[in-house]
Formats: sequence, C-alpha cells, structure tokens
Amino acid sequence: MSWKQPALFLLVSALTCAGVAAQPPEDHLVIVAPAAPGGGWDQTARVLQQVIERRGLARIVEVQNVPGAAGTIGLAQFVHGGGSNTRSLLISGLVMLGATLWNDSPVSLAQATPIARLTGEYEAIAVPAASTIGDMRQLVQVFRERPEAFAWGGGSAGGSDHILAGLIAEAAGVDPRRVNYVAFSGGGEAVAALLGGHIAAGVSGYSEFAPHVRSGRLRALAISSPSRTPAINVPTIRESGLNVEMVNWRGVLGPRGLPDSDRVRLTTLVRQAAHSPEWQRILAEREWSDLYLDGGELDAFLASETTRVTRVVARLRGPARGVPVVTGQRLVPLVVLSGAALVFGALTAGWIRARGQVRPDAPAANRRAVAGVVLGLVVFVIMLQPLGFTAAAAALFVLTANAFARPSTHRRRMWTLAIAIVFAVIVDLAFTRGLDLPLPAGTWFDSSHRGPLTTWTR
Amino acid sequence: MDALSALIDGFRVALTPINLLWALAGVTLGTLVGVLPGIGPALTVALLLPVTFSLQPIEAFIMFAGIYYGGMYGGSTTAILLNTPGESASVMTAVEGHLMARAGRGGAALATAAIGSFVAGTLATAALTFSAPLMANAALRFGPAEYFALTMLAFVAVSSVLGESTLKGLASLFFGLVLGLIGIDPLTGEARMSFGIPELLDGIDVVIVAVGLFAVGESLFAASRVGGDVEDVIPLRGSLWMTREDWSRSWRPWLRGTALGFPAGVLPAGGSEIPTFLSYSLERRLAREPQRFGSGAIEGVAGPEAANNAAAAGTLVPLLTLGLPTSATAAILLAAFQQYGLQPGPLLFTRDVQLVWGLIASLYIGNMMLLVLNLPLVGLWVRLLEVPRPFLHAGILVLASVGAYSVNRSIFDVGLLYVVGGAGYLMRCWQIPLAPAVIGAILGPMAEQHLRRALAAAEGSWMVFVTRPIAATVLATAAAIALLPVVVRRWSGVDNRRRTQPSG
Repeated sequence: MSWKQPALFLLVSALTCAGVAAQPPEDHLVIVAPAAPGGGWDQTARVLQQVIERRGLARIVEVQNVPGAAGTIGLAQFVHGGGSNTRSLLISGLVMLGATLWNDSPVSLAQATPIARLTGEYEAIAVPAASTIGDMRQLVQVFRERPEAFAWGGGSAGGSDHILAGLIAEAAGVDPRRVNYVAFSGGGEAVAALLGGHIAAGVSGYSEFAPHVRSGRLRALAISSPSRTPAINVPTIRESGLNVEMVNWRGVLGPRGLPDSDRVRLTTLVRQAAHSPEWQRILAEREWSDLYLDGGELDAFLASETTRVTRVVARLRGPARGVPVVTGQRLVPLVVLSGAALVFGALTAGWIRARGQVRPDAPAANRRAVAGVVLGLVVFVIMLQPLGFTAAAAALFVLTANAFARPSTHRRRMWTLAIAIVFAVIVDLAFTRGLDLPLPAGTWFDSSHRGPLTTWTR
Repeated sequence: MDALSALIDGFRVALTPINLLWALAGVTLGTLVGVLPGIGPALTVALLLPVTFSLQPIEAFIMFAGIYYGGMYGGSTTAILLNTPGESASVMTAVEGHLMARAGRGGAALATAAIGSFVAGTLATAALTFSAPLMANAALRFGPAEYFALTMLAFVAVSSVLGESTLKGLASLFFGLVLGLIGIDPLTGEARMSFGIPELLDGIDVVIVAVGLFAVGESLFAASRVGGDVEDVIPLRGSLWMTREDWSRSWRPWLRGTALGFPAGVLPAGGSEIPTFLSYSLERRLAREPQRFGSGAIEGVAGPEAANNAAAAGTLVPLLTLGLPTSATAAILLAAFQQYGLQPGPLLFTRDVQLVWGLIASLYIGNMMLLVLNLPLVGLWVRLLEVPRPFLHAGILVLASVGAYSVNRSIFDVGLLYVVGGAGYLMRCWQIPLAPAVIGAILGPMAEQHLRRALAAAEGSWMVFVTRPIAATVLATAAAIALLPVVVRRWSGVDNRRRTQPSG
C-alpha cells in the first residue's frame, strides 16, 4: 500500500459523507472486542472503528478488549454492566455462541440485543496431499466405517471447527459423540499436524488452508458454503450429499433491553458503515465474506442458528467413545492430584515430627512489615476501579515504602508521597499514552458513561 | 538457492536510513516492553497493528522484528536484577542471574545475557538464512507423540532446580502442576477446577504465576526481614564487566543454548521455554564446578538466555517458509502479513523477494543494535540495585500489579497475582524452591495436551510412544538422564546419607 491510498480514502469518504448526513453522528461509541488484541474479533472491532470514524458516523469510537473464555467473559460484562449505556456494541459470533453452550455459561447471546451480522468465513475440510482420500464422499465412507479411528483436527474444542465436524457426523448418520476430534490450540498448530500427516483430516477456516492448497501440500475436499465461489472453486459439502452448510459468522450485539428507538439508531449506524466503500474494500482485502444481515432476518437467523448449535453441542459433549475416559481427560488430573496429595502429606508429616524442635537461630519474621505490604496490596485492588490507577498505585507505593522504612525515617514521609505520585503518573502515562493500553481512570471522577463496565457507580 | 546474493540485496533494502530508523524504534520499544512484566512482544505488536495502514510493509516488518527480538533481551534485565522475570522464557535466567546480582555480579550477568543473546540471535538468524525450508519440513515430522516426549525431556530439567530437599522441590513442582490443571480442558472444552469462576476458565496465565511467585513473593519475604538480619545485596563487587574467567565460562553455554533453542523454535509446538529449561539443566550437568549453581553460576545465565533468543529466531522459520504461526508473536506477525495481502509460505520467497530478504537482513541489524543499545546500559541498570529498599520494592509491586492487570485488563488477575504472591512468600519462608512451580505450570498443560492428542490420534494405544522412532528415542533419553544418577548413587552406596539428613 502506498501513501496515496489513505489520501484517496479520506477524499472519497469526505465526498460521500456529505450525502449521508441523515442521522446526527454519535458522540462517543464503545466497541467491546471480547478477545485479546490481534485476533479475528479484535480486528473486526478495529476495522469497524476506523470505518465509523472515517465516515463521521460517530465522533469518538473506542475499542475495549475484554478477553477470556472464547468471548463469554466479555459477553457477561456486557450484558450485566451495560444496562443504561445505549452507545456500546459487542463483537460476537458463532464461536461465542458455541462457548456459552459449552461452558454452561450463565449468560447467553439472547440476553443482548441483536444489531447486525457483518462478516464470516466458510470452513473447509482438507487432507494431506498424500492421503488416499480423494473427495468428500470417500471421506464420509472411511469415517462411517470406523468413526473412532478417523482423527479430525482443528481449533479449540467447542469452537466452529468442532461444531462443523459434529454437523458432518450428524448428516452422515454417525453419533457425534463418536467423532474423534483432536483439538489444537491454534490454526497454525492444527495445519502443521495435518501437513505432517498426524491427523486424518483437518477442519478450519478456508484461509488457513489456502496457501497449502495452492502449493499442493494439502487437498481441500469441501467447503461449507451454500454454493461454490469462483475464486476458491472447491466443491461444497452439499455436493457430496450431506445436508450441511455453515459459516463462522461475526456480528455486533447491542446492550441488554435496548429500547427499539435505540436499536434502530445503532442498526442504522452499523448499516451505513457496512455498506460503505471503505468497509467493502477491507472485506475484499482480507477475504472476509460480506454477510450483512439485520432486523427481522437477523432475529430469524440467530434463532435457527442457536437451535442447531445447541443440538450439536449437546450431542458432541459427554464422554467420547473413541478413547477410554481414564486415559483421556481423567488421567493427568488423577496423576497430578494424587502426586500432590502424596508430596504434601509427606511434607506435613515431616513438619509434625519436627515441631518440637524450633531452630534457635531462626530469625523472627517482621510481621508488621509484611502486614503493611499486604495492606498496600489490598488497598490497590479495592481502589483500582473507583479511584483509578494513579491513586491506587500511589497508595500501594506509599504503604509498601512505609512498611519497609525504619522508624527513624519518619521525616521522609512527604518525600515518599511525592516520589509515589510521580512514579504512578509516569507508569500511567507510559501505559495509556505510550502503549495505548488503557488503565482504569477512576469511575468516581468520571460521571459520563465511558463504557459498559462503569455503570454501577452512578 | 543463492541465499547469499539474496541476503546482500536484502541488506541493501534494510540499510537505508529510514529502515535503520524503524529498526532502532523497534528494538528500543521491544526492550522497554520486555522489561515490563506482563507486557510481551506479542501484545506490543498487536497494539501496533494499525500502523500497517500507513507504513510500507518492509518498514512495518523491520520494526516488528525489532520489537520481537528486543522483547527477548528486555525480559532478562528485570529477571536478573529484581528477580522478576518479564516473560516465561526468562524464568530460568532469574534463578542464577538474581543470585549473581545479589553478590555484586549483576553487571557480568547482564553482559553475558546481552552478548549471549547477540551470539544466539546472530547464529540462529544465519541458520534461518541458509536452512529455513529444510528445517521447516523436518520439523513437520514432529507430531503429538514427539512433543509429549520432548516435554518429558524438559521435565528432567526440574531435577536440576529441586534444591537441597527433593521433597520440597517436588512439592513446588506439584503446586505448579495443580495450578496448570485449572481452566477449560482444551481437548474436551469442559471446565476443570475452575469452581464456577468464569475468570478461571482460561486458566492462570503463566506470567501471573511467575511474577507472583518471584516478584510479589520476594517483596513480601524482604518485608519480613526488615529490621532483622540485614539483607546483604551488594550492588557491585569487582569488575562491572565480564572477567576473562566469565568469558571462558560463558562461550560454550552460549553455543549450546543456541543449538538447543533454534530447533525448538522451529518446531511448530516447541515454544521458547522448553529450551531454556533444557539448557539450564545441561549446563548444570556439564559445569566443571557444579557447586557454583545455587550461588550464582554464570553458565546458568548464559545458556538459557542464548536459548530463548535462538528460539525466537527459530519461530520465524515455520512462519516465513510455511506460513505457520507457532508463537503468540508469530500469530500477530501473520495477521500483519495478511493486512498487506501477503501470504507467508513457500511462495513468499519467490514472490516478495525484497521483503523477505530485507526482513532477514534487518534481523542481523536489529541484533547488532540491541547489543550496542544494551551493553552501555548495563552500568546504568546495575545502579537500580542502589535504589533504597523501600522504593525498590514499592516500584516492583506497582509494576508487577500493572503488568498483571494488562494481561487481560482484569482486576481479578491482580488479586490472583497477590494470592500467588502470598503462596510464594510462604514457600520462601519454608525454603521451598520457586522455579519448579513455574516449570510445572508451563510444562504440565503442554505435556497433557500432547499426550492426549497422541493417544486420541492412535485410538488410545500407548504403543505410539514406542513405535514412533523419534518419540521413543527422546523418551529413552529422558528416562536415562532421570534415572542414571539414581542408579549410580545406589551402586556407590551413597544413599545411606539421605536417611541421616535432617529434615527441614
């Protein structure tokens, strides 16, 4: 990309903006990416942020990362904290839907308000080039014969890859519980295992396989799209006679109990962004499919998707039949916990035996100083959210330094405080300005609703 | 393939003033974030991804590579001086490095870490230059069974950090293993030992375990000693730099660390921690004066530091040649490639010659810059130990807390850090070594996943570990290393001594 493109970009957006000013721009919009920076949800959030800002649909768009448990932590915070903030969006998708069902999560996607489905990627099934399996029909045949002997590999358990393997089994008339699914911690690891022939077939987003299909190391057997795409030209799963189609979709949700007028407003904003040339250009660049959907169609889609995923997840869960449970999920916890019990038991027995003999040279621990430091840590945790990082860090600094100081150094207290404040401010600036990693700013000082996480302090 | 002439062309690209500037920016930023616990190169590059909208690809990648290498350098500084490893790959550095720093040899420890990182980084980059496709294809032969064998080999390294009492060392190891069990079982997706707390579903981050045990535990322990027997931390004794003896004891560990680290980095699931464990264990076994280990042996710093930098370079092999991201940072780099519409893989070397070789050339330059940047700073860093104790520990606790917070932007993690720190304090009081716990927390989940993947792919048959030659060989080696000393001791009849040893 040359410097000209961004310039052109700005020009185009400035020209088109003038024509679209039907709705006044939002002042401050928060997009919650329920994942760490860098992943698919984070990238969706950041692209959306750029497009919304460049088109002037909102003045300030802030992306907040709330990673954890395949998005369910972000979802829980969003539906529990975001009640009155009508200007926030949560990036969501199939993986989050699967994870809430898989973890028996107390929150569900249905608690948030659907706004729009944005993009998605179709999944593919691939085998190593050396495999004897030539097409999807043959794969189904081999799989049906002895399902447990056929190792599928893909991303994390319960994720979109696993769900697709379950859907295929279902359609092929095999109990999904008999699917021998080997979960890998990332697309890269799964593809490496497939390239090395350590698993029979891989399930993943097509883009993960694409370079290896092009270089002839992998053979893509089928793709989960409804029809063949000219650019990819891999047969669909349907063509092999299985009634399966799936897309790993991503979309945005609004806060819980959002009034209809606000839902319409947020939907209009997202629709304008998603129909903009900037958004379309980025989709093309990243090979994301445009799957825009909103309103009643979206509600219907979510309902049918939830039903189907709930069914498959329920059937995929439960004890796998392929590998005995004992050598499977129970083995290592059993070894570790019994080993730990043994070692700690022996240690305790040793102490009880040696209890009578206190070593005379053992130095007395300075309990006051330790208590002082512990107090500092407790104060930090309590103060962090309401009073913000700077105040909390300064308090931790002062309390720790005082715990370490000898009684003779009382006069230096003001000095300690000054150093503590300067240090806390420097660290705060380094993180928030230097690294652009937001630290809590203190909800007591900030009456405006900056995010869905801060509503309880009104 | 004419790698050499391509490399020279690459240097022509990388040596333009503007690209040198980007490299400098990258290594400086990388060193800074490496110093901070919890903030690693992966997060930094992820946060900088938006710059790809305004930079040329080559400029962006030169900067990102600088951050990646710089992060590996920076992690060792706090490990050595403050006993606070910034990354899990620097845990082994903290073990001997901090002992050296307390004895006034911090300058030498920092210098051997910096020079070792340079040597390892340069040699590993050379290996990347000339053998990348070959290595990458060989690495694909490693499957779950082989990785499981490798983790078993790494577990042997634990025996070298167990400390005086085997029982206490094992207690520490099992503590780490139990921590590693917490969270979603990655193979079934079921929650284990998370007690219904959603924040525990992803498990406890290793950074939290390492920083909690080492940094927070250390500060609490230091507080308990205030007013008692005064801690004798000597900021500097003797020469600031490495002596002739230091050099002669460092160069072999550097080379051995590189030899362990680079292949481990190339392996798609090798990771950068395992080679540091192996290197530490190896150096301890090969040392002419093994009794120095435990009181600050320079070999124990030189080896693991070389290993983690070589592994960082090794990770680029599968990324560039196969398009396989095998570490968190590599995954982000892959995302950056894709933002430019580039697809790393075999075709990258023929399609984007300038970019690939410019990037590789910039790795050499970045390494050189890191050495030039870090060596003069050694004298400055060492003065950190002269900061009065109250301020030093206050600063460590603030940095550890902010680091823990930024891992997941979660206050829960800060609380968790303190709880782990409390455990670390108790362990220090009862003279239980800390390093085995961190090793257990890192290796335990790895070993379990690889074991179960291997068993699943083989329909539950344990024979995979015997019939696959690489796995069988590695497992046999691990068993031999673990059992040989025991057998030898039994033969020479020394084991009577153990019974008369006082407990505690």
